[in-house]
Formats: sequence, structure tokens, C-alpha cells
Amino acid sequence: MTFLRRQLPLLITFVMGVVFALQYYVPHPASEQLLTTVNKWLQIIGGFALILGVTSLFHQHAVKIRRREPGWGYSFVLYAGMLLTVAIGLWVNGKETSNGTMTAFGWVYTYMMVPLQGTMFAILAFFIASAAYRSFRARSREAAVLLVAAVIVMMGRVPLGEHLLPISGDITEWILNVLNAAVRRAILIGISLGAVALSLKIIFGVERAYLGGGKE
Amino acid sequence: MPFDMLLGAWVATGLTLFIFTFLYEDNPLFKVAEHLYVGVSVGYTIVKAYDTVVVRLIYEPMVKQGDWWLLIPLFIGGLMLTRYVPKITWMSRLAFAFIVGVGSGLAIPRVVSSYILKQVEDTFRPLLVLGETGGVTFNFNLADPTSNVNTIVLLVGVVSVLFYFFFSIEHSGPVRHAARTGILFLMIAFGAAFGYTVMARMSLLIGRLSDLIQFAAPGYGRASIWLLLLTVGLLIAWAFRSPERPTS
Amino acid sequence: MTFAERMVHIDRRIIFLVIGLCTLLPLLHPVGLAINVSPEVRAVHDYIESLPPGSAFLLSMDFDPASKPELYPQAVALLRHAFKRNLRVIGMTLWVSGTGMADQVISQVAREMGKTNGVDYVFLGWSPGVGSLIITMGQDLYKAFPSDYYNQPTSSLPVLRDIRTLRDVNYVVSLAAGTAGIETWYVFGKDKYQFELGGGCTGVIAPGLYPLLRSKQINGLIGGLRGAAEYEVLIDQRGLAVAGMDAQSVTHFAIIALVILCNAFYAVIRTHARRSGQERVGRVAEE
Repeated sequence: MTFLRRQLPLLITFVMGVVFALQYYVPHPASEQLLTTVNKWLQIIGGFALILGVTSLFHQHAVKIRRREPGWGYSFVLYAGMLLTVAIGLWVNGKETSNGTMTAFGWVYTYMMVPLQGTMFAILAFFIASAAYRSFRARSREAAVLLVAAVIVMMGRVPLGEHLLPISGDITEWILNVLNAAVRRAILIGISLGAVALSLKIIFGVERAYLGGGKE
Repeated sequence: MPFDMLLGAWVATGLTLFIFTFLYEDNPLFKVAEHLYVGVSVGYTIVKAYDTVVVRLIYEPMVKQGDWWLLIPLFIGGLMLTRYVPKITWMSRLAFAFIVGVGSGLAIPRVVSSYILKQVEDTFRPLLVLGETGGVTFNFNLADPTSNVNTIVLLVGVVSVLFYFFFSIEHSGPVRHAARTGILFLMIAFGAAFGYTVMARMSLLIGRLSDLIQFAAPGYGRASIWLLLLTVGLLIAWAFRSPERPTS
Repeated sequence: MTFAERMVHIDRRIIFLVIGLCTLLPLLHPVGLAINVSPEVRAVHDYIESLPPGSAFLLSMDFDPASKPELYPQAVALLRHAFKRNLRVIGMTLWVSGTGMADQVISQVAREMGKTNGVDYVFLGWSPGVGSLIITMGQDLYKAFPSDYYNQPTSSLPVLRDIRTLRDVNYVVSLAAGTAGIETWYVFGKDKYQFELGGGCTGVIAPGLYPLLRSKQINGLIGGLRGAAEYEVLIDQRGLAVAGMDAQSVTHFAIIALVILCNAFYAVIRTHARRSGQERVGRVAEE
């Protein structure tokens, strides 16, 4: 039983990891067929992962409603929104349009989900302005460099800035294509090396956090 | 104007303004809109997941086209859900092991090729070309990102930033100078990132306000104007009804 | 409290009001300043211009409603250009919450340009898996999407004639708001299947994609609302993006002014504090 709970998952990770790492270098038709089939399976399994995410949200708000915790009315609004959307969606087979006309599901998407999600992120514009005013101080030489670069890019990326100071556009292009590209390249290489190291640790069973809960 | 479009414009405007009330203070209008947003988004995801995964990827290929091999991923997906059954929760590990193993195996050679080899190659290749020509021409044009001077600047930037992030050796002597150069490059890049982030956030606001302006037109019954008055009125009523609220 | 100290601790709602007005007024009264086109946006445009009619163009709209203001105008401009060039357009998305918008934009632009579903374009919709989906598309497109978004079998569609895998697609453009997006398309797609790849993205992730642009892993990049405006100028069909540029200009200058003011006020506070400190030391010395 210990083998099934502890060693078998590590063995599966190891075998799958090695097989698919080596598959990249094997152009044989059988290898390609294996790649196609297993990736098709992963698409289906990925769908089940969505269920996991949704279920925890269900549970969290259900507890709040059941216990009548402060703010449980809002949890009720969440549930009502969710169930209504699901009911409408299943009624029209999950399609936003039918023969060119908008369905009820499409209406919920266009006039509720899109404005809600869009506005949630649009209010960040106000907070970034407030944060820039309160905290963007040139306290040191490095902070001053950051500030100057930010001002140049903000000017160079808008027509008014290029109109008032034409060179700001060229300097912005140079900053992005050379200085910024250099830094991002170094960060990308560093992160990728770390990701590869982590993947190797997972495959060889050194890193086991992904296995998660349950008794061993 | 079709009724569904008119109703939609009023609902969209109302919900937009409810979210904007957060800028004044956290209040019930915002909380209702916020929870509705989460509920509708999750509901949408559930419907899409059902239509795509259950109907188009499982039911139709398996039942209508006879691809019974799909029982295997169905079984593995089912194993994932045992996470919620305390007695057999260990079975979900087998599913996660499969997914993580395949994912790691697929990722390693592709990440090495795309992000490490290709990026290092592009950093050094222009320098090799510079050496091979043997001539005395050296392109000093800063405006051309691929010019020789910019290639050198890029190389200095990449190496110095990598030195900065290498914490396993002490940053002293030449390493310290390299690291300090790296910090300079980093600050410029973060400044550029801040500038772009400001641009992005402002664009999102421009998009929402453009919609509000559109819905203020007479064709939409001046939805934005009436709902703005209603929202402000509700906020004032709420502010006066609860004076013992702690001020923000 | 001195004036500088009062200004530094000003109620943030006043700043919100300033930003709100700086955005609203230019939208109501636009000026229409000239927009310069950057080489990275021109590269995407020129590549589509170079494709012969009938070429397969895959547009992956990998964004959700949160990024609509930046990426929807890019999608509209690219689709108008592709349909004008009579390319065969394949639409899809890697983001589940963006499916409705992607369907909407491709249907709307196709209707505007007189194109027929199944013959001139197809919308494949969304499928889970991201990297796995791209690999499956690279191996066999019809296994990844047995049917399109409207449940038509993909193998029978005229628009997908002679297209078996991603290798048969002439140009892929991913409009990305984050992960999954352009990098995913490169790592799991172009790296092995060798199609040409271009990108459009939000302003937040644009700086991070310049290394891929430099190494020609992507052949062009349309960054944010500004990039969309540049593309609209190139195809000579000004729309939402160009309309938003004046507001963008004013808000940027508002932020620059706020940053300069903030630093100016803090400099005044620091100078005042130093002088008060010197006066106090002087008085103590006298005593």
C-alpha cells in the first residue's frame, strides 16, 4: 500500500518525464503518435483541473451562507449569479450567438461579464496614479535613473510627447530594443535555467510538493 | 434600438458605475458588483468547460465516433477528483504525477531550446559576424538596434545583469563593478516597464470611459447620465445612513 | 503643516478626479495628433502584406475582457487587414473567458468585409490544455479541434483545405494578455513546427517580449493601445485605438506632472527639515 501511495506516483513522474523529454529528439512516427495521443489526453485532463478550481470556490461561499457569517448576503449574490449563468448557458448549449443573433448567454457575457471584468481592472489606472504621486520619489541614484527612464518612455509612447520632444520617441525605441531587451534577456535566461532545474528535480523525485495532500 | 441592447446598455453602465464607486469608498454597491463578477465569471467557465470538454472532447468522439481510448484520460481526470474523498485522496496523487511528469518532460527540451540556447545564440552571433568580416567598419548607429555598438551594449547588459543575480559568489572586486552595472541596466528596464504599465492601465480606463460616453447618447436613453445621478444619490444616502462607520 | 506637507498628504480622491477628467475631456474633444509607426508594428503589417491571397492566417485571441480595450482594437485591425488581403483566417483563443469576445470580433469584422464562415474564415473556439493544445494542433489540427465553435466538422470546411497541422499555416499571430500567450506559442509551437509567428500584447507584458523580437523568434510586436493605433494608421482605417490616443497623451503627461510635483514637494520638505535642524543645533550651541 505504501508503494501505491508513495513510490508509484514518483515512478510515474519519472517515467513520464524521461519519456517525453527524450521524445523531443526522436522523430520516429511512433514517437510522434505518442506525443499526439498523450497531448490530446492532457487537454481532457486539463478540463477536470478546472472543476477542482471551481469546487473550492463553491465550498468557501457555501460555508459562509450556511453559517450566516458577516457578508453572507454577498455570497448569495455570487451563487445566484453563478447558477443563473450556468442555467442560461446550458439552455442555449453554451453558445453566445445562434445564426448571427445574440443568445441570452451572449447577453450575460457582453453586458455583464465584459463590463464587470473590464471595470475591475480599469480602476487600477486611478491607483497607479495615486501610487506614483505618493511613492515615486528619487530617494537614491538608482531610483532617479528609474524615474528618468519611466518619464522618457511615458513621453515617447504618446503622440503629444513625440510632438513636443521628437527625440523622446527614438530614445524610447533604443531603451526598449537595447537596454530593456538586454535585461529581459538575462532575466529570461535565469528564470529558464531555474525552471529547467525545478523540472529535473520534479522528475527525479527530489521536489515532491506537487503531490500535495493525503496521508503517506 | 432593440430592447435587449437597450437593457444591456443600462445594465452594463450600472455595473460599471457600481465598480467605480470603490474609488470613493468601499460600499455595498461595489460589493454586490464584485460578487456578481466572480459568480458570472465562474458560471461562464463552467458552461464553457462543459460544452468543450464534456460534449466536444469526450462525448462526441467517444460515443459518436467510437474512440473508446478516451476512457483513459477520463479515468485519470476522475482520479484527480478523489482529492475530495478523504479515504481515497491518495489516488489523486497518481493523476497529478502523470500530469506533472508529462508537463515537465515536454517543457525541458522546449524551454532549453527556446529561452536558453536561442537567446544566448542571439547575444553572441552578431559579435562573431563582427569578427569574421575583418574589415574596419563598425556601425555606431544607436538608432539601429542591430548595429555593432548596440550589440556590444546588449552583451554588456546581459552579462552584467546575470552577474547581479548570481548570489552564490561574493559581489566584490570586478564582480561588484559588473553587478553595479547590472543594477543600472535593471533600473532603466524597470523604468521602461513602469512607463508601459501606466500606458496599459490608462488604456483600460480609456476603454471603459469610451463605453460610458457611447451609452450617454440619446439612442441609449442617456443611460450613463441617469445612472450616474442614481449612483451618486445612493452613495450619499448610504453615507448619511451610517455615520458610525470608521473613516478611511 | 506646511503647504508642501499638505500637498504630499492630499486626499487621493482628488488625484482620482484629476485622472478621470484627464481621460474624459480628450475623449469628448479629440485633437488628433499624428502617430508615428514603430518598426516592430510595421513588421507585422508588412508580413501580412507579403502573403499571397489564400494563405492561411491563424489569429489566436489570447485575452479576456480585462484586456479588451488594448487587444480588441488590435484584433479588429488585423482581421480587417487579413480579410482585405483575402487570406484564409483561422480564429481561436487559449483563454476560456475570452471565447465570447473572440467569436464576436471575428463574426463582426467578417460580416463587415462580406466574408463567409467556413469558406473564408473559421472560428475554432477554445479548448483546454494550452501547451498540449498547441502541440496537438502541431501534430494534427483536426484531432485538436474535431469541430469548430458552431459544431461544424473541421475536416469538411473549405477554409481548412490543405491544412493538416500548424506547419501548413503561413502566419500565426497571438494577441496575448499574459500566460498563455506569445511565449507559449513559441515554446510549444514555432520551436518545433517552424511557422512564422508575430505578436500583439498588452502594455504590461510588452517590454518582456523584446528579447524574442530581437532574436527574431517573433517577427513583429504590436504593443498595447499605441500599437493598435499604429496598425490602424497603417491600414488607413482609424478606429477605437486612434480615438484613444489623445486621452493617452494627456493622462501620461498628468502622471509625469504628478511625479515631478511629488519629488518637488519632498525636496522642499527635506530642505525645510534640514534648515530647522540646523537652526535647532545653532540655538542649543548658543545656550
